[in-house]
Amino acid sequence: MNRQRRHVGLVVLAIVAALAACPATAAERVLTVGLIGPLSGGAASYGVELQRGAEIKVDEINKGGGLKIGGDVYKIKLVAYDHKAQAAEAATATNKLVFQDKVKYIMGNAVGATCNAAQTITEPNKVMFSFVCWGTSNLAPEKPYSFRSMLSQWELTEPFYRWVKDTHPKIKRVAAISPNDTSGKDTNTAIVKALKTLGFEVAADEYYERGTKDFYPLLTKVLAQKPDMLDVAAAPAGEAGLILKQAMELGFKGAKGWTAGTNPFTIIGVAGPEASEGVWSPANINVKGDHVSAAVKKFGETYEKQYGEVPGVIAVANYAAFDVFTQAMQRAGSVETDKVLEVLTKDRFETVWGPLLIGGKETYGIDRQFLYPLVISEVRGGKVVDVAQVVPAALKKK
Amino acid sequence: MPIELLIQALLNGFGLAVVYILVALGLTLIFSILEIINFAHGEFYMLGGYVAYYAVAVGGLNYPATLALAALVVGATGIAAERLVFRRLRGKTLNAFIVSLGLLWVLQASAQLGFGVLDKPVPSAVSGIVRLGSLVVSRERLVVIAAAAILIAGLYAFLKFAPMGQAMRAAAQDADAAALQGVDIEQVSMLGFGIGCGLAGVAGALLAPIFAVSPTMGALPVVKAFIIIIVGGMGSLPGAVIGGLLLGAVEGVGTLFMSSAAVNVLGFLMVIAVLLARPRGLLGAG
Repeated sequence: MNRQRRHVGLVVLAIVAALAACPATAAERVLTVGLIGPLSGGAASYGVELQRGAEIKVDEINKGGGLKIGGDVYKIKLVAYDHKAQAAEAATATNKLVFQDKVKYIMGNAVGATCNAAQTITEPNKVMFSFVCWGTSNLAPEKPYSFRSMLSQWELTEPFYRWVKDTHPKIKRVAAISPNDTSGKDTNTAIVKALKTLGFEVAADEYYERGTKDFYPLLTKVLAQKPDMLDVAAAPAGEAGLILKQAMELGFKGAKGWTAGTNPFTIIGVAGPEASEGVWSPANINVKGDHVSAAVKKFGETYEKQYGEVPGVIAVANYAAFDVFTQAMQRAGSVETDKVLEVLTKDRFETVWGPLLIGGKETYGIDRQFLYPLVISEVRGGKVVDVAQVVPAALKKK
Repeated sequence: MPIELLIQALLNGFGLAVVYILVALGLTLIFSILEIINFAHGEFYMLGGYVAYYAVAVGGLNYPATLALAALVVGATGIAAERLVFRRLRGKTLNAFIVSLGLLWVLQASAQLGFGVLDKPVPSAVSGIVRLGSLVVSRERLVVIAAAAILIAGLYAFLKFAPMGQAMRAAAQDADAAALQGVDIEQVSMLGFGIGCGLAGVAGALLAPIFAVSPTMGALPVVKAFIIIIVGGMGSLPGAVIGGLLLGAVEGVGTLFMSSAAVNVLGFLMVIAVLLARPRGLLGAG
């Protein structure tokens, strides 16, 4: 009986020893990464692209055996929460991620006001936060753990309107319409500044409440100012499409711009080919165009195959950001945010954008803005055509 | 300010108000018969929008048939909601209010899961604009206004002249007295709820080509509808029409002078003013 017990004990010990000796199993861990965004409501197109861009990167990492950091191999688990583009909901979602799911990385958010709300939690808790929000105050020296992975209005508007001035000199009066929140206010402010600097007249600088469907009253006021060009500025695709459609119904025949036009394919769907004809968008990326790398084209094909839609710049930006942060973790040999932050602010990274530069100190007081060349596209006959590639001033300086 | 701009603003305001009146009429019809404030009413409007999307954009059905289909599908959904949930809560205003809030979230979340979160465009049946001097109205909106006006007139005629409509009015005035006169209150409640929801469904289908459809599209119309029926008087159908036109005029003209955020407040200021000066609303029963 004693001998039997001794044998059983030895077998158990052998199994434990064998398990301990298996390095892959022993060191394989799970890194939970958070994501917040407007996954429903009028700005849902932003959140959905953020999530899908991250999902593709997570799939790549997990299918490739995981992320090797130091002596450990991490499988990535993505946890996403919807904040409906509302600041209060964003704070709740961030609290859940940081204190319930214990994440140290939040890879994705959109809509400026929600970023400010989330940063009240991420910054004091040293949680790394990457987003595509368009609020000026989202990047600041007192927010060292925050990064913007997409060009914002401060990088885009000046080169975009310089191009408009050079190529369409008859356009003199421009009207800008944005949502009435941080993203919208900052975007219109940047547009108005660029317009004045370049010698345009500001025909209107107007705002609407997110969720608005009927733009006739606002457009009646705006179109009475006889603008040559209507810029649906920071409006998300659904609302931008409705503004253009209703402007056409009210007889507007001028030029059309969409400064925050992150995915021109979406506006064709909402506004229809007629109302979206001729819309310029400088913030987008045409994954099927001539100006993009083979890596972006490959990403676009994977995305379309997986989700049945063409990705816009937000999906590409979040995929690239995920890539940069995971590269930084590997170089730091740690998932500790302070160590990763040190690498992020010193190193250069190869991404789908090409060699990525992080700058923005002149505008925000700290280098936390991803920089890359932008493509201006135009909707022609229901299709998206690249018309120019321009380089933001901050990138030129670098 | 040019007078044309003012008239254009009034036209804009009245145009959409007619559709919101349809939503408000359904809401007030349900309240008057069942004494239920249905916060999920906007979700029935949303369902009508999705019926239009699947019928027109996916199935290729024509618009008149689509409107009839939206009325039937959403009306039947309303009848199911009344039979399964609200029947037991008739007269229990607070309980029904809480349940309707729950139903709102269930229907909205179900729509997000079932239909997706992105806006879905519905092709327009008519295009082009009508110019009257410097005034501009899209043909699409004119058709919507005409259809909504016909439906409002039809509902009024039904309630005034049809035996079932008269039974509904009797039940709304005094359910016990109506029951003593042989009115089947259960049947009237069921049909009243079905017609109320059907009207919201038709409104959603009417506006689907103008605004596109999304799971959260019901939030705004139901807020407008509540403003309309509080201003017009809870349970009063003519009050709903007057309240709707008043809200349309105030919002349409208000946009010319103030920001959109301030205009949104105007409706609520109107509610406060009416409740202070005339708590039962403009045409509400005492």
